Amino acid sequence: MSAVAHGERPLAEVRSARWASALATALALVLVAAAVEVVLDGALGHSAEIPLQPDISGWLTTPVWGGARIGERLGFRVFIIALLASTGAYGGLVVLAGRAGAWTGRARRERAQAPAISARWAIALVAALQLIVFAGPVLISTDVFSYIAYARMGVEHGMNPYLNGPLAIAGDPVFKYVGTDWIHVATAYGPLYTLLSYPLAPLGVVGALWGMKLEALLASAGTLALTWRCARARGLDPVLALLVVGANPLYVLYGLGGAHNDLIMMLTMMAAVSLMLAPRTPGVGGIGARREAGAAAWVVAGALIKATVAVLLPFMILSRRRLAPILGALAAIALGALAGYAVFGIHGIDLVAALNRDAAFVSTDSFATEIAHLFGKPGVFPVDHDLLKAALVAIVLYLLWRTWRGYDWVAASGWALLAISVTSTWLLAWYILWPLPLAVVTRDRRLLAATLAVQALFVVHQTSPLLAPVK
Amino acid sequence: MNEASLPAADARWRWLPAWLRPLPEARAGGREKGRAWLIETWLLVLVAVFLAVATVNDLGREVDINHRLVADLATWRHYTHHDYVNISIDQETLGLDSGREVLCGNTIPGAPGEKTQICLAIWGPVRDGLRGVHGGWYLPPYHPDTPANRYGCFGPAGQGRCPR
Repeated sequence: MSAVAHGERPLAEVRSARWASALATALALVLVAAAVEVVLDGALGHSAEIPLQPDISGWLTTPVWGGARIGERLGFRVFIIALLASTGAYGGLVVLAGRAGAWTGRARRERAQAPAISARWAIALVAALQLIVFAGPVLISTDVFSYIAYARMGVEHGMNPYLNGPLAIAGDPVFKYVGTDWIHVATAYGPLYTLLSYPLAPLGVVGALWGMKLEALLASAGTLALTWRCARARGLDPVLALLVVGANPLYVLYGLGGAHNDLIMMLTMMAAVSLMLAPRTPGVGGIGARREAGAAAWVVAGALIKATVAVLLPFMILSRRRLAPILGALAAIALGALAGYAVFGIHGIDLVAALNRDAAFVSTDSFATEIAHLFGKPGVFPVDHDLLKAALVAIVLYLLWRTWRGYDWVAASGWALLAISVTSTWLLAWYILWPLPLAVVTRDRRLLAATLAVQALFVVHQTSPLLAPVK
Repeated sequence: MNEASLPAADARWRWLPAWLRPLPEARAGGREKGRAWLIETWLLVLVAVFLAVATVNDLGREVDINHRLVADLATWRHYTHHDYVNISIDQETLGLDSGREVLCGNTIPGAPGEKTQICLAIWGPVRDGLRGVHGGWYLPPYHPDTPANRYGCFGPAGQGRCPR
């Protein structure tokens, strides 16, 4: 009988496992080092990648023995190098974690015999990345200061953030930190998010900023825990799922680094998916109507934070073909609309108007802009917006038909979110995070491949200052 | 499999046309390798290639613009003999995507736009890190670059751009 038959592992396999473990450690170190570099340089103050903000992380760069701060302010070059290094290391880790098709239960059993990446190791890495970024300054985006401005507008100034832009509170200490593009713009976020942000307003700008960062960290932790749970419920590898989402450079540096409320939206999204994927109760014969109603209510709650997640609802309803999710959604919509209307008036629940307004924005990173340039146009024209909307509607209709015919509703929802970000003329890094947790809890691996490919293209598009630096 | 156990082959839907009828569970999963799956995959590959081409093309375009802007800044500093950092670059006045830019900066030290500004119209190939200056105009302090605010126009690019 062979050694394998006795349960012993051949020498080559042992060596391979050791190499894989060593490589995984090296890649993890690159990820951590890149995050540390970004945070430490970022802590030195305002720069091209660090928005103007209160000095919340200066202590990170002040030597314990006193004296001047060490390091250099975060410029394009260092940030892009760190981003590229992170992306490369992340890609390597994902390949290692998923080697030999660890996606499936069979390979998971094989992996359990020779884990290059253990569950404990993966959790420690993801936790370290999240905490490093949490301790640092706000990275890249000024959005969090808009969130604080809207909260302070309502609580400290008695104004409706759905009717006024931050310019209305120009004397408030948070105003100078709000991005110049947004000072005239009323909030586009849902009433639930605005209400969630209100308790932070009296804490002052620094207190509110830490509160926002903590909210983002907790939402991220919750999203990752639910992603793990959903992967297990579907017989997929939870370690791989955790790494793909939690160690993702865009998720860590842009999503968590900017304390974006997209993380809270993703938490509600994964809460809904988790409820729908919960194991059957013996004897009951399927997930209960209450769970389905609860899942639909979670989606609505997410849409009352950021409307995009509402796209999950029709897929969820079509997949179950029962009344419970419809009733759950209707009840949550009624409750949310009532609360939103009571506090903010009609504008607080007019999410369609906010979506339409945002859909008109154009960013240089959007694929629409890139395609316009490819065809020799200077940018996106109004007719392009209409074409893109038509393409999105066609894609969503096709996905609905596929879901009705039995295609996995989680995957279909992920495709729809990916299609929204790809067809949007206003593409930001944290928008292409939306489908990621869904992509790792579905068996259709094309969704994960497509999501990561889109993210890779986004990263590639950031590299122009590295290739031709502007002095 | 739990969630995916759908009432797919439900008799309720027999009245629907075949293309609209839910598939039996075995054929409905995400790993279905039917014709639809194959077509979808090919379409996705084509879209991915298209987006990759667009991205790389745009990256090249941005690199080219950065290269040009570096030369523009150096040209403004070389021409005015002022090593200032705050110089505004306008890519629209002389035509978006024309490769022709207008760069404005203070004539004497001060905050951006706080002093009289000199604007230079710059275009042409980059030679020794510089591009050609084809004229320009002046702006009073605190005034944006609009035709009404321009004065002292000079060179071919400045002709007809001053109100008087």
